[in-house]
This record gives sequence, C-alpha cells and structure tokens, in this order.
Amino acid sequence: MSDAKHDISASFKNMQGCHVCLTLNKFIHSRCQSCGAKLHSRIKHSLQNTIALLITSVVLYIPANVLPIMYTNVLGQKTANTILGGVISLWQSGSYPIAIVIFVASVLVPIGKIIALFWLCIGVATSKIRSHEKSHQLYRMTEFIGRWSMVDVFVVAILVALIQMGNVMSIYPGAAVIAFGGMVVVTMIAAITFDSRLIWDPLNRE
Amino acid sequence: MAVDESLSHHSGKHPGAQQIIACHECDLLVSLPPLSVGHKASCPRCGYVLTRNFRDTKRKILAFSLTSLIFLIFSLPFPFLSFSAKGTERVLTLLESIQSVVSADYSSVAVLIFLTTVLIPGVFLLGVIYIFISLKSRVPLPYTQPILKFIFALLPWNMAEIFLVGILVSFIKIASLAKVALGPSFIFYTLFIVSLALTVTFLDRLQVWQWVRDGERKAMNENRNNGEQTNE
Repeated sequence: MSDAKHDISASFKNMQGCHVCLTLNKFIHSRCQSCGAKLHSRIKHSLQNTIALLITSVVLYIPANVLPIMYTNVLGQKTANTILGGVISLWQSGSYPIAIVIFVASVLVPIGKIIALFWLCIGVATSKIRSHEKSHQLYRMTEFIGRWSMVDVFVVAILVALIQMGNVMSIYPGAAVIAFGGMVVVTMIAAITFDSRLIWDPLNRE
Repeated sequence: MAVDESLSHHSGKHPGAQQIIACHECDLLVSLPPLSVGHKASCPRCGYVLTRNFRDTKRKILAFSLTSLIFLIFSLPFPFLSFSAKGTERVLTLLESIQSVVSADYSSVAVLIFLTTVLIPGVFLLGVIYIFISLKSRVPLPYTQPILKFIFALLPWNMAEIFLVGILVSFIKIASLAKVALGPSFIFYTLFIVSLALTVTFLDRLQVWQWVRDGERKAMNENRNNGEQTNE
C-alpha cells in the first residue's frame, strides 16, 4: 500500500479487461472491441451467486455424508458404507495412506473450501480484508484444489465397475455419490463465480 | 513488407512497444514489456502469470495436442482394468467401466464421469488442434474465435488426472481382496494425460488471442491487396 500510486486498477481508470481475450476496453463498451465477448468490469452479483451456491453445497453435503456412498455384498451379507465410515474402516485395517487420501479429498477439502469461500465473501462484503495477498492466495488454493474432491466419486465408480461377482462379492453405489458429485460441481461453480478482483477493490478507494 | 507495417500499426504493437492490459485476477493495470523467449510476466500485485513466451510454442502445442488425442483414442478399445478373484476374471475397457455405473442405475454419475474424463478433454483437444491448424494455414479457418472462447471455458472441467489418482486409490484399496491389473489402455490413458498437461502448459491465453487476431488481419489485408491487383 506504500506505493499506492502504482497500484491502479483498470476500473479506477474507467477501463475494463475482457475476460476472454484480455484486451483492455473502455467502460462505455458493453462488448469487447476485439473479440466481441460481453464485458463486465466485475462479475455481476458475484457475492450473491457465490453465497447461494455455497449454501446449496452445504445442503448437498449433508446427504453426501449421512447416506451410504456404497454397498458391499460379501457372500450375501450386505453392508452400507458412508464416507466417514469408509475412512474409519480403512484406518482400522491399517491402510493409513489411503485413509488419509480419502479423508483429505472427501472431508477436509470440501469443508475447507466452503469455509474459505464464505470467509472471502464476508470479508469482501464487509470490506474487512486485512491481507489482500493472503486472501488472494487462499482463493487461488480453493480454486485449484476443489476439483480433487472428485477422487472419491471416481473411486466408487471403479470399485463398482470391477467388483461384480454376484453374491460372492459385489459393490453397488449409494445415493451419497450423487449428492457428493453434485456438491463438488456446485463448489467449483461457486469458486468460478467469485470475482477475485473484489478482494483488491478497497485499495482503489483509498 | 508493406503488409507487415500496416499490421503492426493496426494492432498497436510496434516492435519494442509495451502493451497495457488489466490483470485477469486482480484488475491491476500492467504494461507488458516485450518478452524474450523463456520468460514469463507475472502481475506485480497478485502474482498471477499474465503471459509466457516459450520457444516454438505453436509447433509444440500442435504436436502435443495431436499426440494427446491419439493416445486418448487408443485408450478406448483395449483392456483398461482387470480384476480376478476366486476363479473369476473381469476385464473392462474404459467405456465399459463407465457403462457398469449406468447398469448400477446411476446414470447421472456415469454421465459426469464420462464428461469430465473423456468427452471434455477430447473436445478441448479437437478445439486446440483446429485453432493451431487454422494458425498454420494461410487463410484462417471459420469459427476460430468462438472455438477459442469455448475451449478456455472447458478447461476447468477436465478431470482426467483426478480419474487417474482415483483408479490408483481404488487399486490399493482392493489389492488385498483380489488380483488387479492395469491393461494397455490404462498406459495410453496415462500418456494422454501427460501430453494433455504439456499442451495446457504451453497454451497461453494472451498469446493465442494475439496470433488469432494477427492471422485474421493478415488474411484481410491480403484479400484487399489481391482485390486491388485484379482491379488494375
């Protein structure tokens, strides 16, 4: 903030960058003069949409954890597994590395991502962001890491595909797969909808 | 040579001139210096990589995207995974393994998997190949700009590499229950992911748009020149 003179955002100079081809346009244009894409200096209703999507993902996260993510059928004995139940049984059977991978990808990352995005939205809405750099890094991390939650959906799909031996041993998917997959997609859209430029906007007002 | 001069005049990019853009992630006004090969420009405020300049980018992208698409096609027909336990063996191709999620009555999940691991990366690669063939040819191919817009929107939804990790995790998970093996298709799929990652690394949004625009402008100028010649 010491060299605020050099920290000038495009919007402060009545300019806006095209989000498609990065060409700098004047504010008065509604379409990019170079590629014709619709221009928006900031994503419209970014915070509202992000928060709405985050609430959706919280709602989806409940059935994703309560309902079974898969059923295993061994010699006619059917057992239902939830995400957390699967992690615990993996841990008890001594497969610590996979237990940790699944726990991080399906529990820590989604929860961390939802909390981080809520935190950023609230910070921007109340203009109480202390470190712009750190907030931006947090955003970048949520955007990068969010897709990796999908690992659990893929694991269930592969197990279902491979283990089909009738009553000897079979694995079937549970309803939580849909809720969990939906949650991953919704949180990804939430991260895309969040406009990281809002983090830096308070600097322009000073 | 006259064409080249008018070109640089139109794009406002005289050799050595700086180009001003707004940072995609924090909106800072940045004047980009002309980059020498092997250099990248990052936003001084938020650190976002604005543009990179690799050696021979066009050729590399065309080569890697073609390689990647060929490997993706090769990963479809051969055995992908196999599983044997208690005297029964199950061999699956990539599409058969997605198919079995459909037969378990979870078509929505199967569609999500098919989209993120096969279709979206495939369409992305086709788009990249189309654009770079268009850049190589003397006359730009139609719809280059909308395709360019589309493929950058597709990029976050490619999850091929996550699928790969998912396969490895599930293999470790069931290794104690049965014998599992990876088929030739799996190797092709891994190679497809590696060359896809390389394609994405070399693909620079700012640079590609610059090339597409320059190509279209050049074609327009040539058309105009040809028209004048025939009039004479």
